Amino acid sequence: MILAGLLALPLVAYLLWLVWALVAYPIPLAYNLRSLWQRKVSTLSTAAAIALVVGIFVVVLSLAQGLSLAFVSSGREDQALVMRPNARSELNSTIERDKMRILKVHPLVLRDEVGPLASAEVVVVKLFPVADGTDTNVTVRGLEATGRRMRPQVQLVEGRWFRPGLSEVVVPRKMRGRFPGLELGGSVRMGGRDWAIVGTFDGGNSSYESEVWSDVSDVMQAFRREAYSTLLVRLQDASRMDTFIQAVDDDKRLKLEALPEKAYFKTLTKAGEPVKVLGNLITLILTGAAIFAAMNTMYAAVAGRTREIGTLRALGFRQREILASFQWEAVLLCLVGGLLGSGLALFANGIRAGTTSFQTFSDVSFAFTITPGLMAQGVAFSLVMGLVGGFLPAWRASRLPLTEAMKGG
Amino acid sequence: MRWLALIWKSLLRSRRRTLLIVGSLVLSVFTVAVLQSLLTTLDSVTNNPNSGNRLAVRHKSGITQMLPRSYETYLRQQPEVETVCALQWFGGYYQDPRNFFANFASDETTIFQTFREEFGLSSITEAQVKEYLRDGAGCIVGETLALKNGWKVGDVVPLTGTIFPINPRLTIRLIFKSSRPSDENVMHFHYKVLEEGVPRMKGLTGAFWVRVHRPEDIPRLIDRVDRHYANSAYETLTETESAFNLAFVKMLGNISAIIQGITIAVVLAILIVTANTMGTAIRERGPEIAVFRAMGFSASRVLSLLLAEGVLLVALGAALGILLAQAAAGGVRGALGAVMPFFADFEITSATALLCLVGALAVGLLSTFIPAYAATRRPITEGLRSVG
Repeated sequence: MILAGLLALPLVAYLLWLVWALVAYPIPLAYNLRSLWQRKVSTLSTAAAIALVVGIFVVVLSLAQGLSLAFVSSGREDQALVMRPNARSELNSTIERDKMRILKVHPLVLRDEVGPLASAEVVVVKLFPVADGTDTNVTVRGLEATGRRMRPQVQLVEGRWFRPGLSEVVVPRKMRGRFPGLELGGSVRMGGRDWAIVGTFDGGNSSYESEVWSDVSDVMQAFRREAYSTLLVRLQDASRMDTFIQAVDDDKRLKLEALPEKAYFKTLTKAGEPVKVLGNLITLILTGAAIFAAMNTMYAAVAGRTREIGTLRALGFRQREILASFQWEAVLLCLVGGLLGSGLALFANGIRAGTTSFQTFSDVSFAFTITPGLMAQGVAFSLVMGLVGGFLPAWRASRLPLTEAMKGG
Repeated sequence: MRWLALIWKSLLRSRRRTLLIVGSLVLSVFTVAVLQSLLTTLDSVTNNPNSGNRLAVRHKSGITQMLPRSYETYLRQQPEVETVCALQWFGGYYQDPRNFFANFASDETTIFQTFREEFGLSSITEAQVKEYLRDGAGCIVGETLALKNGWKVGDVVPLTGTIFPINPRLTIRLIFKSSRPSDENVMHFHYKVLEEGVPRMKGLTGAFWVRVHRPEDIPRLIDRVDRHYANSAYETLTETESAFNLAFVKMLGNISAIIQGITIAVVLAILIVTANTMGTAIRERGPEIAVFRAMGFSASRVLSLLLAEGVLLVALGAALGILLAQAAAGGVRGALGAVMPFFADFEITSATALLCLVGALAVGLLSTFIPAYAATRRPITEGLRSVG
């Protein structure tokens, strides 16, 4: 991070100087614009290549963001998740019924008029057919009515919630379309019986949007589970988190561990990490390629205009003004590409995709969302390309010996 | 051959331009080669030549549901079956959770026969196998894995279970060599360790690996097994090992479509950039081309010279890009292999390299043709007029 900052420092300083030069010096910007226009083919093709790279950059960014968005915003400060030690994901965890009884009446757990705010849950994965004809693992979560109340980010959109004992499920709205079987009013087959789909929910971009929900006892019965998977509890006060974690750790009967709900969700975001790293590498390499291309175009532009540069110098433009002028030309060229590329990326907006998280061994649905922020990053990225790619050619233009330039090379 | 010198001279006419375009090509071809190799690596997972006569039997609801070990008896009785091996993914780690490798609890009596090719049986002695069978807390590991962790035969390896609540301490009894790196990044230990350590696993297993005598029998057997257990408490899903692996690859979802999309965008970008550069280079040389033609070179001769120049330029960039990708393959293998075991086999195959080269040459031809054709069609007189 510090290294990146140090690297960016000269760039930012240079950019500031360029902006200042625009105000303080007489830069023949209109001349540069006309020059770009005059070499239409060259300008457009360079801009198009830059647009493609910026497009890839923005799409990869939105992919990484979509993947991490699928996990964040889950979890409350005052809620803790109890799991088996070393389980690392809810799927791997088991909690026996007797331990569950001990935990639910723990003095630190918040109670309201209905009872303790603690939800014993079971998490299994089941193969579901996807629209493209393959099967993928989807998390099926069985939970108690309290579990729904403890997750305010989850809202019912259509239909109603499942009722215990009736083999009913609710499915996330986001999974519809990718999973043709999951339509309201339809049914899914799990554990040898048919489950009616009675409602759809919106999970506020949390990982719950990749899960099918049903009643905990129904799921345990269907999947022949004798033990629960995890327990979600709300504490009386977020400040008692450490005390609760310690208490669970110290209780020799339990042999379980508690962790803050937020911390658990944070470990899940690692699923997006490999894609992010790969995406960043790809864009980094392609940026190099695009900078070379921009350099080539600008060198050609400078070489073809030796006489013009000479004239500018003869008219009284100073070397630094020529430098700024040509640098602006390169930046404008790349900005055109950047704007085009960000626009191009919009085509990916809204496309739904899915991959499997190897943390939870189940499907993660996500959507490409090209936000204005991402597009701005794309444009800023093209600005950097213009600065880096245009510097050497602009420098060369400003250093052309006056006599040679006048002769016209 | 005598034209080569001329083409080379033309390329060196503007060294900086040639250098920049080659640099641009090298980076692009490098990216495409690595991305395409990711896809071919995934493909090869589902095309393992050794797996032709193996089947996987698992629970119909998915790999996390268990099947009774007693199914083994029925499977063994089928006339097509050579041997059956119960196999359960243990998902343990050694010291650090990020230190990922495949480890299985497997039926020690049939494991060697079932995965004959993977274990490279010829280099394993009878005594070594006996040693493993005798030690209930023994394990066998692949050479790559052993080298990475500095394990020797006789070392005790403490595994931490993630899926199962046990942390077995296993003694290495055998280190095997395999032809594929991913097959060597594996540990097997006695099934009893799991069954006796985890009460809920008693009499259950995640999957059976079935080896048949002849691959032709596979479709019939699949059908029979699944029909036999249909509507039972534990329904089965039987498929070839390749299909089983394919299910895991498919789990990556639309990632491969994204990779293809990026590849297309990169190829388009190279096409545009190369066309632009070659266009500039040829435009600059308008008078020279006119002189050539005035000297008696035919238009098609000049065209072929220009095309050869574009192709040579692109070939240079592509060759360097592929070499660079080859050099980086080891790094990719290490970095991605730690996340997903398939990628331990990552390599730039000669087929991929060839594809990149051919693709690049096509790009070179295509991008040079338009400006070159236009240049040779210009009237000679017009070109000569601008000779200084």
